[in-house]
Amino acid sequence: MRIDGEWALFDDGVARPMVSGEILAADGSWVKFPFLVDTGADRTVLTAAALTQLGVRPNTSYDGISGLGGMAESVVIETQIRLSRENSSKVVFRGQYAAVTEVQSLDMCVLGRDITGLFAVIVDQAGGVVCMLSQRHHYTIQLN
Amino acid sequence: MAFHESSHEELSMADLLNPIVMEEVTDLEELAQARAQDERFERNFRWFQEHAAEIFTRYRGQCIYIAGEELFAGDTPEEVIAQAKAAHPEDNGGFVHCIPKEKVAHIYAHRRRMGAL
Repeated sequence: MRIDGEWALFDDGVARPMVSGEILAADGSWVKFPFLVDTGADRTVLTAAALTQLGVRPNTSYDGISGLGGMAESVVIETQIRLSRENSSKVVFRGQYAAVTEVQSLDMCVLGRDITGLFAVIVDQAGGVVCMLSQRHHYTIQLN
Repeated sequence: MAFHESSHEELSMADLLNPIVMEEVTDLEELAQARAQDERFERNFRWFQEHAAEIFTRYRGQCIYIAGEELFAGDTPEEVIAQAKAAHPEDNGGFVHCIPKEKVAHIYAHRRRMGAL
């Protein structure tokens, strides 16, 4: 399985590794979001804007999200995240995800290792590659 | 040494560590609808990328929504989502993005807990 992303421009010309995906909303529709591929993030975290748009009722509050700015108010929601495969099919990740509740806490949904840990992740800015590999897809490191 | 204790209202990281279940989508109708949505998103995202420099300068601190290759700006996600849905109800490939008030380097992390010894 191969899930391709890209280096996209965010915040005044800063390129970030992202994959586009969808999150299942409370009304049964799928809503598109760009996800930051963050190999340092332990968990997938949704933005407050995503939480608003999805309309999913939070299960409970959650106190476990922090960055350099300190702790962020957050909740847990149960939903599904859907990503595109190399063959134009889709793969769904069902589970519980944290979402921040303050708009300024997080500007982009973060794909963390609860999902990326299921893959070998390539985040190669020099080569312009963002890619998640599993199953029959592998990577090779070569010495030229 | 004191360690943080969660209240009953809060979840610890361990509580959230229930495994994510990964499944392939096999429904052909769902896949066709998803591909159409992807194409709409691609158009909107390409438009966003082409105008990124202007957008991040002009709309700093605001929420934006791109739909129909058009930008909607406002103070809250609710506001821009409503504007975009009203203008382009057919476009399910739009997306919302709230631009930070200040341009800063982003570092995200998950809070780690220590166990008592």
